[in-house]
Amino acid sequence: MKKNVIQLSRPLVVASFLLLGVTGNAQQNKGLTDPEVASVAVTANQIDIEFAKIAFQHSRNPEVLNFAKTMTNDHNAVINQAVALVTKLKVTPQTNSLTRQLLADAEKTKKKLQSAKGAGFDKVYIGNEVAYHRSVISAIETVLIPQAENAELKSFLQAVVPALKTHLSHAEMVEKMLNK
Amino acid sequence: MKQLAYSSGVVTGIILLLLMWTACQPAPRVRELTVEIAQMQFVPADITVHKGDKIRFVNHDMVAHDITEETSKKWSSSPLQLGQSWTLEVTGSANYYCSIHEVMKGKIRVE
Repeated sequence: MKKNVIQLSRPLVVASFLLLGVTGNAQQNKGLTDPEVASVAVTANQIDIEFAKIAFQHSRNPEVLNFAKTMTNDHNAVINQAVALVTKLKVTPQTNSLTRQLLADAEKTKKKLQSAKGAGFDKVYIGNEVAYHRSVISAIETVLIPQAENAELKSFLQAVVPALKTHLSHAEMVEKMLNK
Repeated sequence: MKQLAYSSGVVTGIILLLLMWTACQPAPRVRELTVEIAQMQFVPADITVHKGDKIRFVNHDMVAHDITEETSKKWSSSPLQLGQSWTLEVTGSANYYCSIHEVMKGKIRVE
């Protein structure tokens, strides 16, 4: 139980870092630039695709596999749209401290997912998806959207939020099924 | 006898007129309605139609959606990408959902 709490709290740490990191950046650099916002947004999507890949290797539960398939397809669709937008805007996503922190935290989460087995894996994976989507939604709404300067980039981020909220509701539904 | 023949002729005439009148009546109009899929919702999510009406589902989201009858998977569209649409000819009331995003639901009521 305690182990799960620690695992589920990881994405919340990411969100806290995003908020604290941007506050720090805001003081020094007047916030994230659009290339940095684009980098964080694309990375957050890529990370969830990586989590789904582990689910395909470890889970036999149809609901979990269906969820992982949806995450793969949806986040790929978002990345494709993001790439099309930054290409049009001639913006090159720029790796920054937030991107690096997201990737570092994702590596730790992937190790935990890799070490989980059977039904235990399903609970850890879905629990992480609930927490991860909550923190990413929060980061997009409170950090990335306010920081984005280009109107099209801001509008793109706003359009992504309903999909992430639907993912969160879907993950919570699967979590309830797993806990029955 | 002559009276009977006359009556039969009148009845036949009336029947023919009725048949012609019926044939000339316009068929019940089939309506074509649209359900937009936007911001991960079916809009409207609850629609009232007549049997035989057509509902066109149009996906405006950047992620794919499908439209699947919920109770027994009686009918389903293929996944619709951004900008794609699918038309359902209504045969009865139904609850439906997106099988890709299972929390997205809609309802068709036939009156």
